[in-house]
Amino acid sequence: MSCKTAAAEAMTRRFVVGVATALYTAMAGGIGSARADPLRLRGDALLQTQGSGSPTGLVVLQGQDTKQPWVSAEGLVWAGATPSATGDVLVLAVHLREPHGYAELQAGRFVLATGAVHPVQIDGARAVARAPWGSTVETFGGVPVVPRFGARSYDWLAGGRIAETVADVGTIGFSYVQRREGGEVSNEEIGADAAFAPVKWFDLGGFAAYDVSDPGIAEARASAAAKVDDWRFELFASQLSPGRLLPATSLFSVLGDFPSQTVGGTVRWRAAPRLDLLASGAGQDLAGGLGGNGWLRATLRLDDRGQGSLGLELRRTDVPGAQWSGARGIASLPLGGGFRYSEEIEIVVPDHPDGRGTAWPWGLSALSWRSRDGWDVAAAVEASSTPLHRYEGDALVRLSRTLGEP
Amino acid sequence: MKRRSLAMTLLMVLALALAACASVLGIRRQPASHPFEHRAHVMKGIGCLECHKGVELTGDTGPLHIPGDADCLRCHQKPHDSRPCQGCHGETYVRDAAELARARLRFTHSRHMVAAEGDCVRCHSAVTESRPDTVMPKMASCFGCHEHRDQWALRDCNGCHVDLAAEGTMPDDHLVHDGDWLREHGARAASEKDLCASCHTERQCASCHGEGTVPALPWKLALGDDVRLAGLHRAGFASRHSLEARADPGMCTTCHTESSCIDCHTRRGVAPGSTSTSPHPPGWLTASGGDHGAQARIDPVSCAGCHGGAGEQLCVGCHRVGGPGGNPHGPGFNSRKDQHHDLPCRLCHGVGP
Repeated sequence: MSCKTAAAEAMTRRFVVGVATALYTAMAGGIGSARADPLRLRGDALLQTQGSGSPTGLVVLQGQDTKQPWVSAEGLVWAGATPSATGDVLVLAVHLREPHGYAELQAGRFVLATGAVHPVQIDGARAVARAPWGSTVETFGGVPVVPRFGARSYDWLAGGRIAETVADVGTIGFSYVQRREGGEVSNEEIGADAAFAPVKWFDLGGFAAYDVSDPGIAEARASAAAKVDDWRFELFASQLSPGRLLPATSLFSVLGDFPSQTVGGTVRWRAAPRLDLLASGAGQDLAGGLGGNGWLRATLRLDDRGQGSLGLELRRTDVPGAQWSGARGIASLPLGGGFRYSEEIEIVVPDHPDGRGTAWPWGLSALSWRSRDGWDVAAAVEASSTPLHRYEGDALVRLSRTLGEP
Repeated sequence: MKRRSLAMTLLMVLALALAACASVLGIRRQPASHPFEHRAHVMKGIGCLECHKGVELTGDTGPLHIPGDADCLRCHQKPHDSRPCQGCHGETYVRDAAELARARLRFTHSRHMVAAEGDCVRCHSAVTESRPDTVMPKMASCFGCHEHRDQWALRDCNGCHVDLAAEGTMPDDHLVHDGDWLREHGARAASEKDLCASCHTERQCASCHGEGTVPALPWKLALGDDVRLAGLHRAGFASRHSLEARADPGMCTTCHTESSCIDCHTRRGVAPGSTSTSPHPPGWLTASGGDHGAQARIDPVSCAGCHGGAGEQLCVGCHRVGGPGGNPHGPGFNSRKDQHHDLPCRLCHGVGP
């Protein structure tokens, strides 16, 4: 048996085991038991006029169950033809929890995101211990996920985080993670994170990750927001060092460190009970020079509950290498009887088309129907003119069924 | 005379437009239904239990004790209309909220009535407002008596909430999901991931941060859900994604790994080795170098999206030691790695003796 055949068999076996486990996870508790999200089976079909991946068919099964307060399970598996057969497990995790929250254990496939640790999807485990006075100790480890059941040799990560509640108004935490690829250290970071809500109308949070293998700040983000009556203000700042975000084993990490910094703010004003106006602007210092971006957004809810809405957005980005303006409009209209019609249009005008078309218009019209007993049916047509193709059109159909409690 | 009638016509049109706007913007409520006149009843000194009879004895299950027409008719003996009272008096969503609260909260009126000494307004303070959105007490009201400090520290919400994730209640004070929340959430969630997890499922995180996101499962297939302006990949993102990536170097890596681009680019015929189309603008690669070096320094992650892994050989072909591409290292580059044995140095510097 060749290595390739053995690998393919192993992939198939893992997929079958994954699907079976997800099905068991979804079914084991019984349809009528308490759950955060019922079992849902969905089928999609996509027909495209451009590209080689058409027609695409897809079946997605997802569900979550909480059989007992101390154990829950969650899964999402998909299989499809794009047009060759393919499939994957996106989430398959079991969560054990001490009933009062003193300890937790999560195992399986999940997204690891804690403190300043860069979010990464792993096959592994995460354990948390908490004390009532606000101390938290967390440890994790596993193998980073490779799409379509692929695998990398000697690729794993491990780390942990400790955190402490400060005077009931905030939390500070410190984290460490090391990742190895092909047996070599590809990423080693220490990080700090903090969040404070000293008063009801004001809160702030942020984190910084420091690259140990190539000393310097890999990523730092901070955000502070205040809400006063119909207004909400937010100030934000970030620093990203793309060269350090890449694994140290990547060839592109040798280009050096050229971090980008962003500072900006967002304002939201509830101008009328159903009308929200938002404005956001940011200045950027990129390796290639200074720039900025900003947008204005208006959303009008068509009823008090926001069942239907109209929206308009104007946007401008002006940084070295990317200058463009755009406008977008949306309409979402409930038609009654479970029907909803939605329309989205967008036009993007690049300052430097470089032969890719002077404007890139895009539009999507969709009609959907949701029944009281758990059926969802939706169809849409999408049309656009893209940098690659003068005309492009897609047709999308979705059929979904919620089993149990819709 | 003519001018006066024109002015009058314009005035009427303006008044009609303002009236229409007031209704559309929600400044003036639709006449069909409106919140129940709790305040008027309170001001008249009518006790809550006169209408909500028996609510003081209820546990965390059972009927809601929302008054029916018979309760209204006990006082309003000559109703102004023959239709059911609740068709106009009281919003449907307020009743729905009460039903959801009964289903999703562990709460007994009987115990609280004793502690509150029969004063319903102590918790239901909104009934004194002229036009409340809801009469259900906010969680801050609960914290007025119950500190729940330990439960908060231990993320133990199950004492009151049957299933917080299914409840879908949005935060009311801190961590308000408002403004440009999608951009904000990373900075906010860093210290509070387990708080986020009390409502959000793994699937929600994985739909963006997952390595193997479902193909043909982009946002546009979320048909039937309410469309929104917010969202990174909304609308014609495929057309503008290269501009978006350049405008925020490293941003893509926040969710995607360095090898995420190749799947889509292969399907679209813009992958390395493809003969159809190059995604790069004119002047990208010329005999004297072109723009690719400068752009690669700004956002090496975008390059790695297609040229990472085995694709790195494309770079090595020119930039190896002694090759025509020259030194790719930036100013002040320094590394602690062994250039002959460690990755990626050995790709260009070769295996030493």
